[in-house]
Amino acid sequence: MKILGKFIFKLIKIAVFIYGLLFVVFYYDLDGKFMYYIWEPLMIKRFDNMKRPDTTLTPYGMRDNVSEDF
Amino acid sequence: MNLTDIKNTYRKLFVVEKAPEDKNKPKDLKKAVKDFWYGKPHEERRLGALYVENTGLYKHREWRGVKDTMYYFNMIWLYNYGHMVTDIMKYGGGTPKALVDFTKGLLRYRWMGQTYLTAIHWFDRGMEGMRGEEMRASAWHYRAMVSETIRQFMEMFASDKKLHGGEASEQWHKNIAHNETVSGSVFYPFRDVLEDIPLEMITYFVSVHVNSHTVLNYIDAAQSIGLPADPCPMCQAEYGLFIEDDYPDYSPVMVTTNEACDGSVATSVLQDWFLNRPLYAMPQPMRYDDPLVQKHCQKEIEGCWKFIEDQFGVKFDWDQYVKYAQSFNKLTEFEWEKWDVDANTNYYPISSVAQALYRIYYSQDGDRPIWHEIDDHVKRIMNKTVKNKIVCFPKTRHRAIAWSCAPLYYSHWTTWAYNCWGINCVINMDSLMFDQYLRTDTYEHALEDLGWFNEKAPMRAMAVGGHEHILSLFDYMERFHCDMVIMYDQLQCKGMQGIHGVFEDEFRKRDIHAIWVPHALPDKRTVSRQEIRGLINDYMTTVMHEEPLDPTLVDFDDSGSW
Repeated sequence: MKILGKFIFKLIKIAVFIYGLLFVVFYYDLDGKFMYYIWEPLMIKRFDNMKRPDTTLTPYGMRDNVSEDF
Repeated sequence: MNLTDIKNTYRKLFVVEKAPEDKNKPKDLKKAVKDFWYGKPHEERRLGALYVENTGLYKHREWRGVKDTMYYFNMIWLYNYGHMVTDIMKYGGGTPKALVDFTKGLLRYRWMGQTYLTAIHWFDRGMEGMRGEEMRASAWHYRAMVSETIRQFMEMFASDKKLHGGEASEQWHKNIAHNETVSGSVFYPFRDVLEDIPLEMITYFVSVHVNSHTVLNYIDAAQSIGLPADPCPMCQAEYGLFIEDDYPDYSPVMVTTNEACDGSVATSVLQDWFLNRPLYAMPQPMRYDDPLVQKHCQKEIEGCWKFIEDQFGVKFDWDQYVKYAQSFNKLTEFEWEKWDVDANTNYYPISSVAQALYRIYYSQDGDRPIWHEIDDHVKRIMNKTVKNKIVCFPKTRHRAIAWSCAPLYYSHWTTWAYNCWGINCVINMDSLMFDQYLRTDTYEHALEDLGWFNEKAPMRAMAVGGHEHILSLFDYMERFHCDMVIMYDQLQCKGMQGIHGVFEDEFRKRDIHAIWVPHALPDKRTVSRQEIRGLINDYMTTVMHEEPLDPTLVDFDDSGSW
């Protein structure tokens, strides 16, 4: 029973610590700062360097005898 | 980096400068405790001092008093981050594959990887300075939009050929891709067997609101192959997605439209080329209330249904249409209830930006469970504010109506205008579209109403749908008891530019305070947010002779902001 109580108390302590840590992240906008200064530049680099097909080479069909439709 | 650099970076990112007049003030402990518990009064908040220069980030998020800060932290910040994860799992099928698809999409598409992880900042910008019930109700609207956005991109990713080695999954054969301006309501008859997903709603429209950086790549891509730079930048961005090869391939067909204008016709033509698959173009008449065009419009909708039947081998299901149309009517009924409270009381708990974005999103998207879930939350809050006569937005000096198309990169200017000048933008044009009940008693009535609904789409009904409708501004102004107009001036909208002078005349004739707000829809480079604020500031000081509620918000640099 004592061990179980200690375990629960430890869990509560960890939960309180995580909750407090998250509040710090929230209050100081650390999530925003991470996205702005780290994540987004990485993504921009990735997408700028991504090889993309030249979509203007996509073939396009032409209908024959269009004038007959009128 | 030396110690001085570290100190400077710390100051730049975290330290809020005191107001010069506060620097030598003796400490007032009683007031400090009161401010901590209840939050500072509006005039003392100094919200502009919280920004990190140029970025729109916060040195620290606003302290709104214990109750509201803890609500914001728990029920907005934590709740929404948590629900983003559960939504990704839920809409991805509830298996680990959902996370794999999400990661693949995140790393494949710029509009995903660069944009949507910053969604919580979208909440922040939309809810700056808010307290109490208006903060709660507005946040629920954002929650719905985030959830629906996740649903749509997870549906796309799950069947996207580009993410699955070019293979068409079973679901790929059951998806209908359509322009974001084709109403989701058109597809109700097939919702039990097919999934309709707008192609540009998430890839373009919502992305600009969340992070205005991404879209610039698509506009530039369109112009890089020689397409003209002067059409609507919305259309440029929509076909720029294709030029950049940044569209998900999740459907064997495409349904397009000419809504809102000729620029959209070009989008249809280019999509027809790049997609190279069966495409149905469903036009919406420009002079939409001409009785002669009604039958034509209905035939176009029936043509679309026939196209779907032929392409997918499914049958039009009247019972499905009735089920979803009736369900959607419940959303419309609640919208009318909201307008009633908004127009006639000071107890309306929804911010202008939440009202506008939520309304345009759900009415365009069509009936989905999340809209009902959120309306229930909002109804409870609105009932409370009305019953207890809780005045929302108590610093309102002017009740404004915003008309024409809004700047997507600065849809939250209304939050700034309220915090800085007390301009409460109570209603806007985008909210008033799709104002149509869908009858379900007979097929003829249903088709007639759906035709009208389709014609009352964004930008058609009151932007390029004939001057009689555009000038309905003045009726709505009266109905919502407004004393000011914020007149958007979309510099690349040929339709609205054509009627600029008529509005000038009407404002003068009616002696209405109107502030013109020029912008280029998604493109923040043409008219910056700071320039928009400058125009409003000038009007409020030189014409209205008013003092700002929060002087720190008058001028600040957020040019690099999302």
